[in-house]
Amino acid sequence: LSNLKHMGSESVKVVVRCRPLNDREKALSCKMVLSMDLQRCQCFIEKPGAVDEPPKQFTFDGTYYIDQETEQMYNEIAYPLVEVRIQRDNFAYGQTGSGKSFTMQGVSEPATQKGVIPRAFEHIFENIQCAENTKFLVRASYLEIYNEEIRDLLGSDTKQRLELKEHPERGVYVRDLSMHTVHSVGECERIIEKGWRNRAVGYTLMNKDSSRSHSIFTIHLENSSGQDHLWAGKLNLVDLAGSERQSKTGATGERLREATKINLSLSALGNVISALVDGRSRYIPYRDSKLTSHPLLFPQGHNPPPPKKRRKRLKRQTWTNPTQFITSTLSMHCIKTL
Amino acid sequence: MAATQQEARSCVRTPERTNMASVNSSEWRAICDKFTNAQNLTEIESRNDKENDPFRSKYKAKELLREIYCSLKNFEAGEGEEEGGGESGDQRPTEQPVDGQREDLFGQGFSGDSPAGLRAARLGAVEYYLGVNHVDTEELSAGQEHLMNCMKLLERCRVSSPNVSLFIQVRNQLGILWAGRDETETAQGFLETAESIYQRYMKEDGSPPTDMTEYFAAEENLLTHQERIKRFELAYTHTMYYLAQVYKNLGQTERAATYCHTTLQRQLQLNQFTPMEWALNAATLSQYYITKGRYMEGRHCLSAATVISDLAGEVPSEAAAQENETESERREHLRQKRAEIARCWIKYCLNLLQDAKKQLEDNIGELDTDRQEELKRARRREEEEEEKGRKSALLFGSEDTFDSIASIEEKVMCLFPLDFTEARSVFLVGQNHVTQAKDYFQMDGYVTDHIEILQDHSALFRSLAFFEEDLERRCKMHKRRVDMLEPICNDLNAQYYLMIRRQLMFELAETYNEMMDLKLALANRQADTQSLDNHTIKKFNHLCSASAKYFQMFLDSLCSPEGKFPERLEEEVLRPALVARFRVARLHSRLISTSPTVQLDNLNKSLENYKYVVQYCEANPEAGAAVETELELSKEMVGLLPLKINRLNARMDSNN
Repeated sequence: LSNLKHMGSESVKVVVRCRPLNDREKALSCKMVLSMDLQRCQCFIEKPGAVDEPPKQFTFDGTYYIDQETEQMYNEIAYPLVEVRIQRDNFAYGQTGSGKSFTMQGVSEPATQKGVIPRAFEHIFENIQCAENTKFLVRASYLEIYNEEIRDLLGSDTKQRLELKEHPERGVYVRDLSMHTVHSVGECERIIEKGWRNRAVGYTLMNKDSSRSHSIFTIHLENSSGQDHLWAGKLNLVDLAGSERQSKTGATGERLREATKINLSLSALGNVISALVDGRSRYIPYRDSKLTSHPLLFPQGHNPPPPKKRRKRLKRQTWTNPTQFITSTLSMHCIKTL
Repeated sequence: MAATQQEARSCVRTPERTNMASVNSSEWRAICDKFTNAQNLTEIESRNDKENDPFRSKYKAKELLREIYCSLKNFEAGEGEEEGGGESGDQRPTEQPVDGQREDLFGQGFSGDSPAGLRAARLGAVEYYLGVNHVDTEELSAGQEHLMNCMKLLERCRVSSPNVSLFIQVRNQLGILWAGRDETETAQGFLETAESIYQRYMKEDGSPPTDMTEYFAAEENLLTHQERIKRFELAYTHTMYYLAQVYKNLGQTERAATYCHTTLQRQLQLNQFTPMEWALNAATLSQYYITKGRYMEGRHCLSAATVISDLAGEVPSEAAAQENETESERREHLRQKRAEIARCWIKYCLNLLQDAKKQLEDNIGELDTDRQEELKRARRREEEEEEKGRKSALLFGSEDTFDSIASIEEKVMCLFPLDFTEARSVFLVGQNHVTQAKDYFQMDGYVTDHIEILQDHSALFRSLAFFEEDLERRCKMHKRRVDMLEPICNDLNAQYYLMIRRQLMFELAETYNEMMDLKLALANRQADTQSLDNHTIKKFNHLCSASAKYFQMFLDSLCSPEGKFPERLEEEVLRPALVARFRVARLHSRLISTSPTVQLDNLNKSLENYKYVVQYCEANPEAGAAVETELELSKEMVGLLPLKINRLNARMDSNN
């Protein structure tokens, strides 16, 4: 995540929200090990059983504790993003069961716990209604990334795989991703529900593991004010897959460590060879990895090498494994501004 | 010991003696059927298991295997064979076999096809399959136990054709298991033993070994020699593959690369490969060799990749692709993969030229003719070495492909090009591949890839220019680079392609700078007098301003959306930004003008930028280390320029 902060003239805000203990945890008499200093936007994690060790401290751009409602978080964090007219991304990231959906989709009762997504819809349509002399076009698209494949959750054939393409003017886009015009909050919500249902169908039919898929819901806004220029904006709501690495049965006994685990199939020979190649001025044949080229998750390219002989090898900016940064007790919501 | 003790206890011993020879065929048949069932469950049925019950079939298979184990133990009991007791036949001490033993597994023990040997192998095989089953179902300790039991059983036997496959495969599995526990050296031990067993077996025997599935197969279902060899060799190919991974994890990259190379080689020889996949792997391996400067191996890999990729067949025509979705996908797939191989070739040519340049250049970056002579002499010796090298290097292919691969190798050199003719031949090969790669990776659709290819093409020109003696022609090569990159830079969306645009701006700035220096050098050579003619001055200034313009564009790209230059430069942009400032300063001071006002303006701009460099490095001392030479020169200029400006001011005043 700290890499994201250095994306040239872009900036990232990282906000953390802590959920309360759930029923199962209460039944097991679990203790809260996380505490917050809201003023300073700091989190403290105690090590259970280690009384003399000071708690670990982490600082963020925003902190929200168990008793704070979605409404407050939305007003402080998401509202200004939706307000601004340039492309914005909003990520929700965390372990399965950490409460991402609660924050993003929310519940209808009480009203203060309505999720970020429905709030964003309302916000947008309120603004549209207030604007005078301008025509707005609001469209939605919804895609899923699973197993490095992209699918249209609102398309006629949700099994069809879509391609990621680049255009010099438009940037990165998903070819043939369907766009649906929406005129109201209600329509937005129906569309997102339809997408959700298609996602769920996929899990049962194709034996997918829901905790391993990412989804991106995008609201495209276009505006023409009379004879003036057209502006367009996009709001991306990203639901990232669970950050944990699970064995098939969720067994926590002996975990095979990813790094030194031997790959059994010769089909991975290419990966083994690629891992040996180190150094500049080489080309590694395409590995079919959508996530590594998606504009929201990866910066594009890298800065020019300095001239003359004294060259420092400039590393390609990458999204290193998020689990290295996130501890398992937190539910993280990353809001990135481009 | 828990798992196996449990198994032993659960085996009910029948009172009568059941001699192996008198085991009736129906009982044996039952065992064989169970085994086939277990295999089927493990390999086929298990694929249909739901995500929430993923090991259903494998648990069933495990039960069957346990039953087989019991039955075998019963037969054994019937014959008076107890665990640990037994017939004559040298038994080695049953100590815990750990990290790969190099004992004489070939010398001592039961012969593989003696009754005792067969019994051991059969039981060992069941332990093997139980072991694998446990590992698959995430019960590593139990898995390890069974696999070690298998090892112990085999300990009593001599390596021979009925059991060598088991000897090797159990070690493969133990290698996998220990690697998964991050005990890489232990894994290495088992796998290296497997390797030496294979090598010795092939040297001393080599007959088609029994495949493990045959222990419980009916007479009519035994495999052909051909099939046996195929499976055995595949098992060893996996040993090579696993060792490659282990060496990689141990940081022994060179060894890992050799084992990857061997794996690829075997796949070809044994005809166990998919053409395109193999070709891409070979092309990727070539990149490893290239970054290590091993061009002969790199060229061989790439040539093999080209030949084998052709085996994947013809690209379906556009018409065929439009009618049929499968054909369309196939066309896309083939074209893309071949374009990727082309890109690997481009890197080969580029790296070869760049490394040759490093060998030949003097301390100001020009071709050193003495070095050139020296290297040419040395090369005559090298060519003899090349022949020997080939033989010892791992060659790819089978009878049909050896020649085709060689014919592609002949088209490009693998030794450093030492003069323009040689450099040009390498350049042209690279350029051909650029054309091929660009044909697939078009701008609309593959912006990043397309631009990377153009950057490579530009770099090819740059390297070739080094070898070109004629300054005019050299300049033309740089012009080609500008023509290629300039339009692109301006067409790209500034927000989405920020990083790429920065690279292009920097490269354009440097290229224009290079051209400016060449123009000046040319003019100085031609003219006897000091002064340059107007035309040359105009040309010079144009190139000078263009260079400054792009350096400035680069600097502007670092500004915030409000247009503010950053107070503090991030690590990744520190050196380029300071160098850009330095160059802008220098370029401004070199612009030629007769107007004193213009001269003054240029000198002031120049001073401003030199000052920035000096002041930034004062405020951020660690930055100075990144730009030592530039800082030193900047300090000098900050001292000298004000004097020059004052003199100019004075002259202007006195003229007025």
